[in-house]
Amino acid sequence: MSNNVIAASRLTLAYDGGKKEIIKNASFRVGRGEFVFITGPSGSGKSTLLKSLYGALVPKSGSLVVGGFDMGNISHGRLQTLRSNLGIIFQDYKLINEWTVEKNVVLPLIIAGYSSDIQKTQAQKLLRHVKLSEHAERFPLELSGGEQQRVGVARALSKNPFLILADEPTGNLDEYSSNVIWDLMENACAQLGSTIVVVTHRIPTIFNIPYRHLIIENKGIYEVN
Amino acid sequence: MMFILPLMSILLGIEFFLVFDRVTTNYEEKLKANYSILVVTKKQMDEAKFKKIDSRIADAEKIGRKKIAKDIAEGLGNTTGRDILNALPYFYSLHLNNYLDSEDTAEIEKKLLKDPWVKKVETFGESHSSKYNLFIFIKILFWTFVALMSTVSLFLIVKQMEVWQMAHRERMRIMEIFGAPMLLRSAVLFRMGIVDAIMATLLASAVFLSLKLYWADRSGIELLMERKELLFENSDLLILISVSLSIVIVAVMSVAIKSREVKE
Repeated sequence: MSNNVIAASRLTLAYDGGKKEIIKNASFRVGRGEFVFITGPSGSGKSTLLKSLYGALVPKSGSLVVGGFDMGNISHGRLQTLRSNLGIIFQDYKLINEWTVEKNVVLPLIIAGYSSDIQKTQAQKLLRHVKLSEHAERFPLELSGGEQQRVGVARALSKNPFLILADEPTGNLDEYSSNVIWDLMENACAQLGSTIVVVTHRIPTIFNIPYRHLIIENKGIYEVN
Repeated sequence: MMFILPLMSILLGIEFFLVFDRVTTNYEEKLKANYSILVVTKKQMDEAKFKKIDSRIADAEKIGRKKIAKDIAEGLGNTTGRDILNALPYFYSLHLNNYLDSEDTAEIEKKLLKDPWVKKVETFGESHSSKYNLFIFIKILFWTFVALMSTVSLFLIVKQMEVWQMAHRERMRIMEIFGAPMLLRSAVLFRMGIVDAIMATLLASAVFLSLKLYWADRSGIELLMERKELLFENSDLLILISVSLSIVIVAVMSVAIKSREVKE
């Protein structure tokens, strides 16, 4: 893998079998260990771009390489490999409601086939980190939105992924819960060295680590200095 | 758990079918063995000649003439048995390869009568035809019942698959986003399905085993009292578990495939 975790060149993303173009001829790169915010007005294509980064949307044209995988031409098996090495955080948390908090946190480890001892140890460590140790045996729907998102962040960190993708991670949260989430993500980038790409409509006013800001406008993706 | 009931009714249907098939085959064999065509000939004939007339003739049993001649001589009083024996035709009892309907036996009768040596043929058509028709009627009735039962059960299985899909789609999609392969995504369903398949097989087998062990002797049905094994054979267990596991695998795989993320 080169120093670029993500490399997009003349990338076009579209829906409706290619008829409805959302992103057109966009080029950008994300380097290892960078924290990148992607902003833009509603409907500009932020979530669409994020979907293409984890392979839920195939590029119409151009090239998109994520972690060394060519997303325009990726097999099912290789997509599974890529995804199992990503951390993904969603606005609607996407937790498995019939699983306990602890089991949700170690989902990536379950998929990777780690032993239950390792799962247990890692879950305890992560839940301490997101301050949810006492909720390990509870179920997601018994938690507040902020707590659920902290579970989502813990899950994203559980396998030390090389890239964390977050789609409006604080979109449904109050200010206090949002700040907790931003703190956790700052730590992940600064202390663990993870590359983090966050799609959001608003960058937090207080953010303590260096970051890049990309904006989506008129189907293009531009760097904001 | 809800999967057990439709699965069980399919397995019961299959086992009913297996038992019925064995019983009817056995019964057919019995009918065939007991059924014969009586042929009277002018000259002595052998089995090969009868078989040449119609290949469906399995064997020809010669009926002893001496006793007939003696009985007649005793009745007449002043005639010797030897004279009567010389005047008597030859009698044969023919057995067939299969249990045939009355049209087929009539055809064999015609063929036999064409032979210049054959004087008379008696097929006992009426009683044979009535038994045969009853036999076929019961067979058709039973197959229809089994087919209906299986169809209704299949609908129940499809409904259960929809319930599974509703209950597990979200979890399977989330797991897919995080890179879980299909087998892992559907592991819970496989576990549930396999447990249901084993339980349904054991329950269906238990029904027929108890019929074999506790009911057959008291059934009053001669065939079942003589051959209890017709009600359940060890190989049935293998057939039932194979069928139920196949149904489970197909059901779970189709739920897993339907729950896959749609790539845009």
